[in-house]
Amino acid sequence: MADMVARTLRITAPPDDVDSVHQALESVWAVVPDLEPRDRMSIETAVIELTANVIQYANRGRAVSFALTIVVYDDRVEATLSDSGEVDDVGLHSRGMPDAMAESGRGIPMIQALVDSVEHRRVEGFNHWTLVRAREAARDSVTPARGMPSVSISGVIDEMSRQRALEELGILDTPPEERFDRVTRLATQLFGVSGSAINLIDRDRQWSKSMVGSFPSEVPRSQSACAITIETDQTLIVPDLSQWEGHEHIGIPGEFEFYAGHPLYAPGGERIGSFCVFDASPRHFSEREVAMLRDLASWVQQELSVSQELSRAAEVQQGLLPQQLLSMPGWDIAGMCLPARAVGGDFYDWYPVGEGAAFTLADTMGKGIGSAIIAATVRAVLRSAARFGDVTGAVDAAAAALTGDLDSTGVFVTLFHARLDMDTGEVTYVDAGHGLTFIAKQSGEVRRLRSTAPPLGIDIETEWVAQTESLEAGDALVSVSDGVLDLYAGVEEALESVTSIVMLAESAEEIVDAMRARARGVAPDDVTVLVVRRDAA
Amino acid sequence: MELRERTLPDGVAVVAPVGRLTMVGAPDLRGKLAELVADGHTRIVVDLSEVVFLDSSGLGALVAGLKSARQAGGDLRIASATEQVLLVLKLTSLDRVLEPHATAESAFAELRPRDRGGR
Repeated sequence: MADMVARTLRITAPPDDVDSVHQALESVWAVVPDLEPRDRMSIETAVIELTANVIQYANRGRAVSFALTIVVYDDRVEATLSDSGEVDDVGLHSRGMPDAMAESGRGIPMIQALVDSVEHRRVEGFNHWTLVRAREAARDSVTPARGMPSVSISGVIDEMSRQRALEELGILDTPPEERFDRVTRLATQLFGVSGSAINLIDRDRQWSKSMVGSFPSEVPRSQSACAITIETDQTLIVPDLSQWEGHEHIGIPGEFEFYAGHPLYAPGGERIGSFCVFDASPRHFSEREVAMLRDLASWVQQELSVSQELSRAAEVQQGLLPQQLLSMPGWDIAGMCLPARAVGGDFYDWYPVGEGAAFTLADTMGKGIGSAIIAATVRAVLRSAARFGDVTGAVDAAAAALTGDLDSTGVFVTLFHARLDMDTGEVTYVDAGHGLTFIAKQSGEVRRLRSTAPPLGIDIETEWVAQTESLEAGDALVSVSDGVLDLYAGVEEALESVTSIVMLAESAEEIVDAMRARARGVAPDDVTVLVVRRDAA
Repeated sequence: MELRERTLPDGVAVVAPVGRLTMVGAPDLRGKLAELVADGHTRIVVDLSEVVFLDSSGLGALVAGLKSARQAGGDLRIASATEQVLLVLKLTSLDRVLEPHATAESAFAELRPRDRGGR
């Protein structure tokens, strides 16, 4: 493609309408004077029909936004329209022109008649339309251009959605995992080959989630056989890599001479990588072996889906943490929750109550999904209970509501729940078996707040008693989960470290960031931190 | 959209839309044609000389006008179509029921427009 002219236009209709599209197209035509009038009229008519269709139907009559890109190549014109419409059933299936006396229904058949190919795909909630018309000058009388594939834009969209799906899996650059490694180990034994790998194709590199064999876990995409595998849905078998036409550079004599791979898919069906076996010398691969390879690939596939579900769950759980800062002049509040696995049993929460706010930090026994479900329940119950009464009332109501659930699941929850009066700095709290809340005074003195009650879920009659503390200018209240203690040799060392972090930090956010940096990648348990800091006078 | 109107000496009503006949302007033309028929004008010419672009909504308006004119015992004809309009008419085979005439004046004069040599 020696020359091309591309223009992109963003439209929101209303207020824009098809006239806006006409004006944009005119600016494109102005810079490609050699475009045949026939090509110009055809693509313009098709684009206008498509635009009108999108404006009228894509969002059920409501406002719709879309981006329209026109690319004029030497041999063809491509128009790609991406709209945010809800409707994905676009009725592109070939239907003829309606009856002569029909007043509508000509739009789609006209588009189909005006261009050589029409593609529609729905990716990530967007409709992507690609219209391609071969230019008159490039039309070959021998091979009709009808149905010509769009090589550029739809290819780019494919690659974009592939990349996005891969990133959503959240698996790239994660440490090795036994659940994947056992599959590659098994494959080398089953096939009697020198290696096996689970390779993911990430932009311009191949990254191995699991690898048996003496190859680096990262190679350029151009050197990757799996990057070829993901081009189709077929199992790719290359008995002798030195004889692989067009890809002779991929094999390595004496090290990498045989390859067999099967594509791996993201939950949305995008080909994100390949499960493969390879050997140091050329080899035959039987039908039975092909079937086995596919079986192993589908096993890997299942493990990948589990990852996906977990990362969805993680997103949901992060979404339950407070997203908005409290607007409390004179106060600075921050929090973080770093689950040891994808999801965890800790949470923190805050919301305005009266002339101040309520704060919670809770730690559900255990880690993982079970704890996360309980944590979400505790959060919801406490939030609704906090609407009534004071701190003790809220904890009492929440504890009563949760007793049955915690009992039947055999789980208990430690909890720090507090109310802050933003004017006086008075903090009233109930600590249910948590005991990991500190007040760091500006003077450098640090005091640990005592736990006054057993955790929720311990089956004893409890009278919740609120304690009161006061935060002066420059003081900070820091509540952490016991995962923080695992980062240190003991409570004393943890306390010391937290104190120095608090003293050195300029803001609540800095305290949280310092703790996050300390915990990332090394914490064996969920790590949660909540900081309420009163501005220095 | 702008719709220029005139009446030919033989009583034929001529409507000449100006600009693009798309979903933006088509409802105006549709309304105007309905109004003409309701007012008793059953022989109507849509002069397309100033129409630079026509899409399926424009076609819909023409077909609607054609139907109501015929139901009233008259006819609707088109004249002076530009290149893009001719392309669209041909593509949709509507040139068979809406045969393009050279001018508004000749639209009802030519009894057999096919004899002009074109289709």
